[in-house]
Parts: sequence; C-alpha cells; structure tokens
Amino acid sequence: MFLFPTKKAPAPEREASSPERTSLPERSERSERSERSGRPEELGGPERSGRSEQPGGPERSGRPAEVSPPGEPEKAFPGKKAPGVRVSGLSVVYRTPAGELPAVRGIDLELVPGTITGVVGESGSGKSTLALSLLNAVQPPGRISAGSVEIDGLGDVVRLGGDALRKARGRHIGYVFQAAQNSLNPLKTVGKQLLDLGRSHEVDDLRELVRDAKELLGRMGMDGARVLDSHQHELSGGMRQRVGIMLALVLNAHLVVLDEPTTALDMITQATILRIIREVHEERGLTTLVITHDLGVVAEVADRLAVMYGGRVVEQGPTMEVLGAPRHPYTQGLIRAIPRLVGDIGEARALPGRPPTLGTIPARGCVFRERCHLRMAVCETEEPPAISRGEWIVACHAVAAEAEAEGGRRRVAAGTQGSAKAHGAKGEQG
Amino acid sequence: MITGQGITKTFRQRGSVLAGREVKALRGVDFAIKKGGAASFIGESGSGKTTLGRIIAGLESHDAGEITIDGTPMSSLRPKQRQPYFRRIQLIHQDPYSALNPTRTVHQTLNAPLDLRAKGTGRSRSWVEGRAEELLELVGLDPGYVLPRYPHQLSGGMRQRVVIARALTVDPEMLVADEAVSMIDVSLRLGILALLKDLRERLGVSVLFITHDVATARYIGEDGELYVIYRGQVVERGHVETIISDPVHPYTQSLLSAIPVLRGLEQPGEEPVVPTEALDEGNHDAGCLFARRCPFRTGRCESEHPVLGHAEGTSQEHACFHPRRRSVVAMPAGRA
Amino acid sequence: MTAPTIIPGAPGGTRTTGGARATLRRNFWRGVGRVLRRKPSRMLGVIILAVFAVMGAFGPLFYPAQLPRDNNALYAAPSLIHPFGTDFEGTDVLALVITGARYVLLTGLITAVIAIVLGTGVGLFAGFRRGRWDSLLMRITDMNLAIPGLPLLLVLSTVWKFTSAFEMGLVLGLLGWGGVARSVRAQTLSLRERGFIEAARGLGLSTKHIIGRELLPSMAPFIAMNMLIAVTGAVYAQVGLFFLGVLPFEANNWGVMLNLAVFGGGALTTTAALPYLLAPLLAILLLTLGIVLVVDAMDEIFNPRLREE
Repeated sequence: MFLFPTKKAPAPEREASSPERTSLPERSERSERSERSGRPEELGGPERSGRSEQPGGPERSGRPAEVSPPGEPEKAFPGKKAPGVRVSGLSVVYRTPAGELPAVRGIDLELVPGTITGVVGESGSGKSTLALSLLNAVQPPGRISAGSVEIDGLGDVVRLGGDALRKARGRHIGYVFQAAQNSLNPLKTVGKQLLDLGRSHEVDDLRELVRDAKELLGRMGMDGARVLDSHQHELSGGMRQRVGIMLALVLNAHLVVLDEPTTALDMITQATILRIIREVHEERGLTTLVITHDLGVVAEVADRLAVMYGGRVVEQGPTMEVLGAPRHPYTQGLIRAIPRLVGDIGEARALPGRPPTLGTIPARGCVFRERCHLRMAVCETEEPPAISRGEWIVACHAVAAEAEAEGGRRRVAAGTQGSAKAHGAKGEQG
Repeated sequence: MITGQGITKTFRQRGSVLAGREVKALRGVDFAIKKGGAASFIGESGSGKTTLGRIIAGLESHDAGEITIDGTPMSSLRPKQRQPYFRRIQLIHQDPYSALNPTRTVHQTLNAPLDLRAKGTGRSRSWVEGRAEELLELVGLDPGYVLPRYPHQLSGGMRQRVVIARALTVDPEMLVADEAVSMIDVSLRLGILALLKDLRERLGVSVLFITHDVATARYIGEDGELYVIYRGQVVERGHVETIISDPVHPYTQSLLSAIPVLRGLEQPGEEPVVPTEALDEGNHDAGCLFARRCPFRTGRCESEHPVLGHAEGTSQEHACFHPRRRSVVAMPAGRA
Repeated sequence: MTAPTIIPGAPGGTRTTGGARATLRRNFWRGVGRVLRRKPSRMLGVIILAVFAVMGAFGPLFYPAQLPRDNNALYAAPSLIHPFGTDFEGTDVLALVITGARYVLLTGLITAVIAIVLGTGVGLFAGFRRGRWDSLLMRITDMNLAIPGLPLLLVLSTVWKFTSAFEMGLVLGLLGWGGVARSVRAQTLSLRERGFIEAARGLGLSTKHIIGRELLPSMAPFIAMNMLIAVTGAVYAQVGLFFLGVLPFEANNWGVMLNLAVFGGGALTTTAALPYLLAPLLAILLLTLGIVLVVDAMDEIFNPRLREE
C-alpha cells in the first residue's frame, strides 16, 4: 500500500483483510502511471473548460448554473463538468460458504474526463460488480475489501456513506441499471417516478426538473409530455431504455454508468440507443462508463476499452488500437469468436473452455490460463505483470516475455522485479 | 422437406370484447426448407419470426395456410396424427435455463424420451444408456461429467448442448433454433453455432435459425437461405451471402447497417440506411408495411402493397417498389 | 470429434447406470440433512414435529384406556407428579394432552392429505388441460370455496358424532381443498409455459410423464408447504369446534380440554384451572411453531440448487 504516495492510506482494517499482496507489481506499475499523468490537479483547475475534443463544450459549461435554481446545492459546483475517475487497487469480495471469494481483484482503471470508457466481459468477469463499486453500491454478501474509487468533486466514494452517498448517486453519478427496460415501476407513470426522484433528492423546483426531463426526452427523439404521462407497459424497450438514461441524467450528473444498455434490444434499436448515448455524452460533456458483454457495443461507442476476465482487467487502451491489434490472448480470442458479416467464416473460432465463476477463478497466477493457448509455467504461479505502451496496458506473461525479447523495456523489468519482491514478501508471511 | 404456404396468424389480445385488439403476427408467409438444408429467419422482435418457428415446430396453431411435411399436408390430418410429423421438428429454445427441468438430472432428462423410443421399438435398457452417452459425445460433452448433474451445475453453453442432445433423442429431421445463442457467453456462442453446422453436415439434420443478428445466420451454412421478415411478411429472401453482400430492400439494409462495426478492424459501409423512428405503426396496414420507417418511400409505397417477387437478373426475391443495392455492410479496415 | 469444445474433466464424476436411482435418493436425503443443519431453527422444528409424531403414535400406549382420577386432587397446582396440574376430576393434564394428541394430529394429517390430493389433482388437471375442463373444475372449486364451513359442520354434527378422527378429517379435507386447487392451477398455468414442459410435449412424452415427472417435482416445495399449513388449519378448525362445544365430547381432545377449562373450570376468572387451559394451548402453539420452522426449509429441500450448495 505504501506504493501509492499520492493517496491517503486506506482504512487499516481494509488493509489487513486485503488479499492483494500478490498483485503489487501490477499496481506499482499503474500507480506510477497515474502519478505521471497527474490528473487530479489538472481537473480542479480552471483551464478544464478549454478541452478541445468536446464539441458543444462551451455552451454546455454554462448550463448547470442556468438550469439549477438559485440556492440549489448544484451552485456549490458551478464549474461542474465531466469528472475524472480513478479506480485503484479495487477488490470486491463476496461471502460464500467457501469463504470470501473475490469477484473483482486489484483493478486499476482510469476514466478520463469527457470520454466514454467501455468495459467488456463475459458472465462472471466482475464487470457489473465494478460498475456498482463506482457508486459504492455493492450489496451484501459482497463488500469492497480494498482499493479506492476517486471521483473528482466527490473524493473517494468507497469512504462515503449514508446521506452523502445517497446524494452523490443521482446528482453526481447517474446509473442506468441493467435491464433498465424493466426497472421502472409498473404502477406509476414515468412523470410520477421523476417527481419521486426529484423529491428524494430534495430538488426545490420540480417544475424545472420536469422541463429538463422533457427537454432530454425530446433530445432523444421522443415526445416528452407523452412519455411522462405513460406507464412502463405503454413504452417499447428502446423507449424505456431512453427513459432510464433520462432519469440518470436529469439531476445533472456528469458521470454516467450504463450497465448493459442494449441487452435484449433489437439491432436497429440498439444502434439508435448507442447513437443517442454518444450524442448526449458529447452535448452534455459527460464522463461515461458503458458495461457490456458485447464487444460490438464498445466498438461503436467507446473511446477507451477495458477487457475484464475473472475479476481482472486483462487489457485496456484506446478502442481503435486495441481492437485493431489486440495483444492479450483473451481479447484476441474474444474478437475471433464474434460472428462477423465480412471475411472468411472459417476464421472464426470459439474460445475453448468456459468463463470462470466466482468459485472457480484461480486464486493464484493468471486467471485466463485455463483457456489460453500461450500458457506457460509461470502463468500458474505468478500474477501477470502489467505491460504498458502509452495508454495501452496488457496483463499477460506471454506479452511480457515478448516485450522483453524485443529489447527489454524498462518498465517490464521493473514489473518483474516488483513481482519477485512481492512474492518474497508473501513467502515470509506464510 | 418442409414447406409452408400462406401461413397466417392473428393474435387477439385478451380482455373485454370491446378492447380486444388484433395483432397480425404473420401475413401469408411462404417458405421451403429442404432436407438437410439451412434457412434463417431474420427480423426484429415482434416481426413474427418466433411465432413462425413455433408453428413449424407444431407448438402453435395457425389461422390460414398449409404446412406440408414430407409431402403430407398437415391440414389433412387430425391433431393426434400430426404429432409424429411434428416430432421430427425439434425446437431449441432461446433460454437454456428454462428449457431444462431444474429438478431433473441430465441423465433423467435424456432418458425419458429415449425410454419411450426403446419401448416403442423393443430396444433394451442398455441401448438407452449407450445412446444417451453417444448423443452427449456428439454435442461435445463428457457424459461422465454431465449425466449425473443438475442443470444449475452446468454453464450456459453446456446447458444449450444438453438441450440439443435432448432434441436429438428423437432423431429429428430439423432443428429450429430460436435465438439459440443469444443468452450464451460471447466466447462460447460460436461453439454452439459450429455444433449446429456440424450436426447438419454429419447427420443431415436441417437447421432453421431464427435470429435478429444477421451475422450469426452466416455460420449455419453458406448455402443457407435467408428470410428477412418484417411485421409478419417476408420482405426479402435469398442466399445468405447474396443478401449480406447485395441487399436491395431498405429494411434488410437497415438491419445490416445496425450491426456494430468493430472500429479498428473494420470500417462502416458506404451508405448505411437508418430507418426513421417506429411510432405506433402497429395499426398502419395500408401500402408497404415498412413505408412509415423507410427513408426512401414514395407516394406509391403509402398506397400500394408490394408483393414478394424476383428482382431482375438475381436469384433473390424482395418486396419493394424501389429496390436498389446499397453497400451497407462494414468492410475490413485497410490494414496490412 | 465434433465441436471443438473442451469440457473440464470430472474428478469422480460418477457414471449413472443401474444404481442411479438409489444414488439420487441417497443424495436427496443427504441434501435434506444439509438443509436442516443450515439453520438450528429448522432442526428445532423437526424435533418438535418428531416429538408430536411420537406422542400421537405411541402416547396412548403408556396410559390406561381410562385415565386414573384422583378425587383428592381436583384442579391441583402443577407439581412434580402433575407437571401441568390436574383437571376437574383430578386427572393428570399432561396425560390428557398426550393421549389427546392422537385424535388431533390424525385429523390434521387426514385433512391435509385429502385437501392436498384433491386440490393438487384438480388444480393440475385444470391448469394442464385448460379450456373446458378448466372452466368446469374451477366452477366446482369456486363452489367448494363458497361453502360456509362452520354452519355445515353444525348441521353435520347433529347426524354425525365424529368419534373417529377419520370422519373429522374427511369432512375438513373435503371442505378445504378449494384454495389448494386454485393456487396449484395458477402454478401449473405458469409452469406449462416454461421451456422444459414445451420440450417434453414436443418430444412426444406422455401426459402422465409430464404431469408426474416434470410438473409435480417443480411444484413439490409449494405442495409440501401447503400441506404443512393445511395441518395447522385443520388443528385450529377441530380444536375450535370442540371448544365451542359444537361437537359432542366423545373423544379425548385438546379442544375438549379448552372447553372444560373455560366453561367448566372458569379458567378465565380463577387461577386454579389455568394450567388446565394453558397446557393444550401450549401444545397447539408448539405444533404450529414446529410446522412454521420446518416450512422454512421446504424451498431449499426441493430445489436441487439450494439443496446442494
């Protein structure tokens, strides 16, 4: 833990219960990175509004103050804009009869302000648990056992609790739940649910809220007044999804988490929703996280991509680069396993084996080794080091070996050293 | 050989007589699936493709039209007599979780239909046991591992394989796979598709694939036939590869345009077609059914109803007054 | 050979052949044990029910047909010899409770069995067949539900003495199957839409197989729960009837004890007969508690996933 000079020391009991010693090398690697980028200071600064790659940024920057009535808590963040999020060393464990098992382990992930990040993973990859952790909403028997989630303007969400946390959800973090199509109350109109939301967040001017909601719905191509008057069953799947997005954004959250936003939607509706996500993201100046099992969704919508497997992020980087030339064998296999419209059908291959479940995730070594064709002896025992090339990070022994052979990058060496050290430390303990 | 002519189905929504609303699920669909052939029904939810699949599997009745199985028109038979015919057509459900009885082991699940057959043909118990193992091996499962287990102890992919093995217990002529991979982990989907393809090649089982994802339909077989269904009507029909490379109906083009592009690997097609938003078109039946969403509609589309017919000089059929090829499908990025 | 799938090898994956059924049964009971041990309250429930079962089955064997009276100890206070005191004739209250258990429990059991068998049968058939059979059976069910139980029993008691638990159970069972039929039908209607039932029909499996092997096991927890709850219902009903004095006091019964304690001993006004009143009440309470505690385990017992975990 002392390897995080920029962070406050985590709560002692967290540290004590942390099973994360073995993943130190990976983290030392990444923490070094985040230190370098030095985002936290940058974010608070006034220069932020000048972000060039954000179309519609300038008009939007005035918006929150304009929309919120005076005296609103919103006023406290006049410059509230796309926040950055830094997840570091995050571990979430679930209590089971077999003891506490990690669903998510030692995740380091950064959401760059104003970008869309896509997290891809199969069932059991921990992607939904990760999404819930951003709101500190992991339900028992699960709990966040280590790490931090720093959100600009909010601090470490993991340490928030009670009312502060409740307020943060909705006002700072908008969450569109998995199967948002079915998460509306069937007995109440959308408008009523909107007012409930407003009241529970102590919005003074509910009329303003309704106007905002209508505007948002209109922006997404719907008749706002009509939708607010409708019950859930009167709306199609795509429309409900849009209502979900509206409810996540209407309190002016600038960090939005969408969990499987297009699951169970038709292709054409999916394309529409993805387009809307992209457009709203740009217009309102958001930081967006999209969680999905579908690589296609991420490819369409995300600027950056993180691939999860067995509770770890195995590869992350700019979407175009990662998809164009994936380096982790899992990413490669996943892309090859997706039926495509063009190219030779014969090239497509299913990945052998099956994704691990909570109980079958290997406790040591690489989580993907069971299904990996590049598996080596070291994969059984050692956590794969994180190799970074610019923003692109891969956690794989095979890639590490290759990189070393290529000419020995300094950071790889550092990673291996760290790993050896951590291993030694663990041995002493045992 | 299984054919259907003019299959029509209307659902009457329950409720009071006054509020009863009719939903036309199928409006006179023709199809023909050869022995050992492959066909795919493509369309959005609500297009009627699932209803059609269920009618073909004998699980649902239809209002008008004729289903002919191996030359025998089903309307000439009484319901009891139809059963052996429809037994040759087995439905693979979308959801392998609900398709297997959670209180029964795989062994029990497979043995029930096998016992029935053994009784009918005077085969022995050991034949049943042997056949169950054989079928599990055929679908790529280890019988020793799978047989004593309950469905919840298997992964989604394994469950779907058990479902397929169960369908094979009656030596079916055709498997109707209704979105059979949509609830399975991405990395395992192709395995199930490959299995269906393999069964077709090795056992000569024809496969009818029902999906909203055109890309998966490609994997069942290149010689497969594609039916694009919109609101209960076939709007385009032809060989899989032809329709993917040269779609002429704007709806087919919309479907193909909507498939996500793997940026970095591929680049989007040149003329993607984006349909206009569908708003209460459910009751709008005059003219072309797609007219209200079609970006290329003309006055004629609003008043006249296009019928499925051959396009000039091609093998595919379409129901559009203004057919035009558009390159909508993503292309490999110019790497390498 | 076929699809390129690697299935994890099973360490000790038993090959199911001849002894498969026996293995399954053994695993089932092992699972039941596991489920009960999961919560101490369930064990307690099982113990309570076991004690009552023993009491009902063998209790009367320990006492003479005519319980001894002691004229010197009328309404005696609880003591070592008489833990719950004595009644108006000086008979030991505990002995009365124990010997009275058989009638009460037997009636409850018979009522539950009749109500469950009838209700499940009607509900399953109506839900599975639907259509005309459904309408007919449901009308009959409605009629059953509409029968006013108490007045009917009052009328019946004039012609029938209800000396045997079987008669009592039969009447209560015939009165009580309607609710079970309704809820079993609702369950069947929802289950028959499930993929596995549809698949069974598509495979040409017999209706007998589908109902007996596919539908019933899926409803087992539900039926078992209903059964246990029906037992409590029947116990309340008959004890109530005897307490009200509607039925002649032919049998030794908890309800008779309550009646005599309240109306004969004035237990509500004086303390002397209080133990006489509380003892049968306590027995009913314990029985209900035992059933409630065991009901809690039903879902896990019949669901293989919850059972094995």
